[in-house]
Amino acid sequence: MTEAVSAPYGRDRRPFLRRLANASEPYLYSAPALILIVTVMLVPLVIGISYAFRDMTLLDPFSGGFIGLDHFRAIAKDKTFWLALKNTVYWTGYSVGLQFAFGLILALLLDKPFYGRGLAQALCFLPWAVPSFLSGLNWAWMFNPVVGPIPHWLYGMGLMSAPDNILSDPDLAMWGPIIANVWWGIPFFAITLLAALQSIPRDLYEAAAIDGATPFQRFRSITLPFLAPTIAITVMLRTIWIANFADLIVVMTNGGPADKTQIVASYIFTQAFRRLDFGYASAIALVLLMLLMIYSLLIVFLRQTLLKER
Amino acid sequence: MASIDITDVRKAYGSTKILHGVDLTIQDGEFVVLVGPSGCGKSTLLRMIAGLEDISSGEIRIGGRVVNDLDPKDRDIAMVFQSYALYPHMTVADNMSYSLRLRKTAKEKIAAAISGAATKLSLTPLMERRPKALSGGQRQRVAMGRAIVRSPKAFLFDEPLSNLDARLREHMRGEIKKLHQDLGATSIYVTHDQIEAMTLADRIVAMNAGLVQQVGSPLDLYDRPANLFVAGFMGSPAMNMFEGTYRNANGGTVELAQGVVVPLAGPAPTADGTKVTLGIRPEHVLVGKTGLEGIQALISLVEPTGFGTILHASAFGEDVKAFSLERGVAVRGDTVSVSFPVDRIHLFDTATGSRIG
Ligand SMILES: Nc1ncnc2c1ncn2[C@@H]1O[C@H](COP(=O)(O)OP(=O)(O)OP(=O)(O)O)[C@@H](O)[C@H]1O
Ligand SMILES: [Mg+2]
Repeated sequence: MTEAVSAPYGRDRRPFLRRLANASEPYLYSAPALILIVTVMLVPLVIGISYAFRDMTLLDPFSGGFIGLDHFRAIAKDKTFWLALKNTVYWTGYSVGLQFAFGLILALLLDKPFYGRGLAQALCFLPWAVPSFLSGLNWAWMFNPVVGPIPHWLYGMGLMSAPDNILSDPDLAMWGPIIANVWWGIPFFAITLLAALQSIPRDLYEAAAIDGATPFQRFRSITLPFLAPTIAITVMLRTIWIANFADLIVVMTNGGPADKTQIVASYIFTQAFRRLDFGYASAIALVLLMLLMIYSLLIVFLRQTLLKER
Repeated sequence: MASIDITDVRKAYGSTKILHGVDLTIQDGEFVVLVGPSGCGKSTLLRMIAGLEDISSGEIRIGGRVVNDLDPKDRDIAMVFQSYALYPHMTVADNMSYSLRLRKTAKEKIAAAISGAATKLSLTPLMERRPKALSGGQRQRVAMGRAIVRSPKAFLFDEPLSNLDARLREHMRGEIKKLHQDLGATSIYVTHDQIEAMTLADRIVAMNAGLVQQVGSPLDLYDRPANLFVAGFMGSPAMNMFEGTYRNANGGTVELAQGVVVPLAGPAPTADGTKVTLGIRPEHVLVGKTGLEGIQALISLVEPTGFGTILHASAFGEDVKAFSLERGVAVRGDTVSVSFPVDRIHLFDTATGSRIG
């Protein structure tokens, strides 16, 4: 290491090639991994993004030309897109909010010891193992008054004037997939929050109990601060994931009735695989990507400022 | 401040019995230390007083009021945990003021209370730090500070010093003693370090296997252990114990192995021929040149502690430990004579373990 120490004081006298070899050594070591990551992650992304600026329609053999920002101009005027964007916010907000709320309650319940807890934990985590398409179909049937019980229950409780399918009611249709999504996604929050809960030292609760905190005060001053980092990261991940998650909607309502349940992700799916307009679908996807990136940056920024305040 | 009365308190987890009926009265302002080997139920008893464990049966009263069914927060006690249990996301000041803030104490009063405690514990320059930026000893002081700010009826300590190194432990021991002399608060202190117990306690409660073995002043327990357990537990190096048979003849003697006979101060209140255990503390064993009156012994090990010397001598098939403040009393391989002064001998019934006389 004497060479390195003396370097700043005089010109490095080593031959150029040798210096080059030394400088590039770490990059050469990591090159195989880097090349793999770049080909696997970046190349498809770049190709996908490039579609957004080209006219790509599968059934049109003359398509493929570069058309600049035409797709984006079309998006700006596309009423369905704007509706889908609004629906996406609605769908994501309610899904994440309810999944989180119920997941937290479930995690708090499962954190207390009781007889048969192991079995209860296993059962609560079951929905997560159900394939999303299957759970979509299942819930679609449950909402169907011909085969499913839910409309009859709602009617029986006086919440509906007739046992109709809420999936075909333009005002309520979005709640079908949201409920299915909440049922399906609670375990994700429950598992991650339970893991975080169990890492909180018990004696902190005991100390707080002796200090005079009620259970709610203990929750606020110990549980929440400990869970905060987990909450921030899981809510962010789930928001992005659910905003992109079209399976349930495609299976249960296919965006209908009258595009009332169309979210951006399902709209992309429709454009790409029903209309076979890959260029336009890519452009929408790019817009969605940008919006989600802005959202994540905001969250990260928020988290940093919160952490600094501490 | 208040007295604490514990009446026939028992604890069982399912079918496992942990405490088998503890009776104890702690006077107002008294410093009581619970000692005993690991797993004997000290923490369990302390946690029952704090309200962190249910009381299976019996009654605990603080200041005359039965607290069996009171929540910890309504018992008005403070506890210092072995792990300190500081709130990691709060500053030292917030940690200390938390209980006062929960009680909606006025801001000026809180500020006065925590600055008072901070001065007492020399925490003033650390008030805005978080626990993770503190050393072990500083954390310990914060835990103490959190306990003293709200002047509770009683302090409970569960091995508060066991995570500190020996030097710091000694220092903090002194601090705790001073603090108790200042505040005069009723305190219950759990430890298995007998030096801590001896130095801090007004009274020591020695426990074993869920039972109180002896309650008394530190010197009581040291000088007149009530049974073999207390005799063996208190004191380091531990008391020598030799099994033998009591003989009434010649004004009371004990017959040890290999026909060695040790005279007693007088006849003991037990039947001739009783199996007894003779106990004598190492510092009371006299080691002298051979030829003097005493038992022939061969020095097998010499352990200098700096403070004094521990001699191990083999005699009548046993290892006799002797402690001497002097150095160079003997070296390994020396033949010496050991003797047991009659007024220093403790006699226990081997079968029941309890003290005779
Ligand atoms: N939740 C529990 N269920 C069953 N047994 C328990 C439980 N908690 C403690 N015990 C048992 O109770 C006994 C007493 O425990 P305790 O913590 O009071 O011991 P201790 O005297 O404080 O020991 P130490 O000096 O090691 O801290 C132990 O044998 C322990 O195994
Ligand atoms: Mg303990």
